Amino acid sequence: MKWERIRIAVMLAPTLLVISILFFGSLLYGFLQSLGYNPNIGATDINFDAYLRVMFSEEFSGRFWSGLTLSLWVAFCSTFVSAAIAIFVALLLRRTFFGKKLAVFFFQLNLPIPHLVIAVGMIMLFSQSGLVSRMLGELGLVTSPRDFPALTKDAYGIGIILAYIWKEVAFFGIIVLAILQSLGEDYEAVAQSLGANRWQRFRTVTLPLIMPGLMSASIIVFAFTFGSYEVPRILGVGYPKMLPVMSLDFFLNPDLNARAEGMALSMIIAFIVLVLIFIYMYITARTVRKD
Amino acid sequence: MTHLSINALTKRYPGEEKPAIDSLSLEVESGKLVALLGPSGCGKTTTMKMIAGLLEPTSGDILFDNQSILNIAPEKRGAVMVFQNYLLFPYMTIAQNVGYGLKMRKVDQATIDRRVGEMLELVKLPSLGDRRPKELSGGQQQRVALARALIVQPNLLLLDEPLSNLDAHLRFEMRDLIREIQQEMGITTLFVTHDQEEAAVLSDKIALILDGTLQQYDPPMGFYESPKSRAIADFFGGVNFVTGTQDKGRFTSDLGAWSAPRGIEAGSGLATIRPEDIEICEAPGENVVSGNIVSHVYVGTHSRLKVDVGAHQFHVVADAGIIKTYGTGSTVMLHLPAEKIWVLPHAKD
Ligand SMILES: Nc1ncnc2c1ncn2[C@@H]1O[C@H](COP(=O)(O)OP(=O)(O)OP(=O)(O)O)[C@@H](O)[C@H]1O
Ligand SMILES: [Mg+2]
Repeated sequence: MKWERIRIAVMLAPTLLVISILFFGSLLYGFLQSLGYNPNIGATDINFDAYLRVMFSEEFSGRFWSGLTLSLWVAFCSTFVSAAIAIFVALLLRRTFFGKKLAVFFFQLNLPIPHLVIAVGMIMLFSQSGLVSRMLGELGLVTSPRDFPALTKDAYGIGIILAYIWKEVAFFGIIVLAILQSLGEDYEAVAQSLGANRWQRFRTVTLPLIMPGLMSASIIVFAFTFGSYEVPRILGVGYPKMLPVMSLDFFLNPDLNARAEGMALSMIIAFIVLVLIFIYMYITARTVRKD
Repeated sequence: MTHLSINALTKRYPGEEKPAIDSLSLEVESGKLVALLGPSGCGKTTTMKMIAGLLEPTSGDILFDNQSILNIAPEKRGAVMVFQNYLLFPYMTIAQNVGYGLKMRKVDQATIDRRVGEMLELVKLPSLGDRRPKELSGGQQQRVALARALIVQPNLLLLDEPLSNLDAHLRFEMRDLIREIQQEMGITTLFVTHDQEEAAVLSDKIALILDGTLQQYDPPMGFYESPKSRAIADFFGGVNFVTGTQDKGRFTSDLGAWSAPRGIEAGSGLATIRPEDIEICEAPGENVVSGNIVSHVYVGTHSRLKVDVGAHQFHVVADAGIIKTYGTGSTVMLHLPAEKIWVLPHAKD
């Protein structure tokens, strides 16, 4: 038993080592840069100036706080709405019906499609000069592209949220469907025979049973939508910008001094995501202890 | 209290050729406990689910007090089903589990708390309300499941093999508890089991289902004393069968002529007698055969003998101490009391 454990540890060691070096190494390097340590340009002082500048300077603070708000808003809406839709769809797909396999297949089809493709697809379909707008124009329902609501490149990140929902509904759906199918319907049957109506069964039985799985999927989706840049880069506006896009701007800035701000911003994003993961682990640990 | 009527109830699962349950008709008088007995896969759970409304019948009708309930939503029928695997909600405490049905009926919390206390008392688990289902043994979980069903004062209690996951000792205890509570509360109860002894001990009447069809519906004794077919006798552990001819209360076979007034009037027949009804006797006479003991098993409270009589073998349950008088190989005389012999119709082949 003891030897078995040591053997497993030894076998895993090389992989763990590489991962640790890559992960913690780059994290450390990034952290140092965010503290202003960059020997390449002769900066060796260590301080929190970059953090302060990003968050509180006149130059950046407006962009930072509006970007943070937008990021939280987009991540929250994307996660919540896709989870809600996915539960609904999974409850439908759980039943046996003619053509179920096909329906599940189409539902899952979104999984392997890159986010970038979805974002570009959104532009082609839903922008003010996109396919939907033009078709409505042909039908005389909108007279000029301006009349079509700005579903992409809008200040509230609607386009970004829609793109994420499009994609994450499939991710949530697969997870929820798997949980539902492994649980079967007997718990709900018990509740029904004890007098619970459809809504009561959903609220007191189905939801609590899928909650642990749903929570972990939600944290993954929240962290992802909070920290990734390609969709907001394509579908977002110049102001406000989601934090990852803002961070990217710093890196693309030819002035090497902007590196520190870029890194500071990335560290802030990483920190927020880490906090979320800890909250998640706390919640799951509690629910696991409960049942 | 509810009188349950089942009329020609049939269920055919989609894509299946044979119905899982075929034209079942049954009357369960109010306040009675009826066992649905049958081997695995004979359609017992299917029947229960249809009564509870969790499954749509293909045809037929179900009535509570002469009112069809097929159009009543399952949650309004008041037919509560207790599943074989308990299915306590894992994220709730025991008290919350028991109180669930009342909570769904929007009963105030003080009443719920009081009734939960009563129910836990009833199933003899008074101090476990704050635990989680995981922290209970199988027997305790089953009792909680029972309390959770009883708290809503169901019209009809449907117990699907409530004892099959318990060890023998717990099973006896639970069996008594169920009978006790059922009689105290007077709830019409349908009880699924595949154990004939359990069915006999617990129920007022047994409905024996083999292969989707109802074979016999009688008080337990009927299945032992007057089974309607060889298959039924087999299911209830009948082992002694002799073919012959019945005529005016006399049954004639290669073992001679016996007085046998019960069963068919006349014609080709199959006489059967239960092992425990055969008596060992000292002198020849009416309905007495003689044979050789070929095996002998001591079971503590009694002994089981196998006795070769002519071309037949009889199983006999005798006193535990019989081994002192008759050993293996010895000759023994068996009295087959006329009123214990049951003659079934038998098609000559
Ligand atoms: N959902 C289903 N689809 C198709 N066939 C089913 C379904 N459920 C049950 N059956 C079939 O119907 C028959 C009766 O099943 P049922 O569960 O009622 O048996 P049971 O008497 O309760 O058996 P057990 O004692 O093993 O619980 C079985 O042959 C089973 O395979
Ligand atoms: Mg069953």
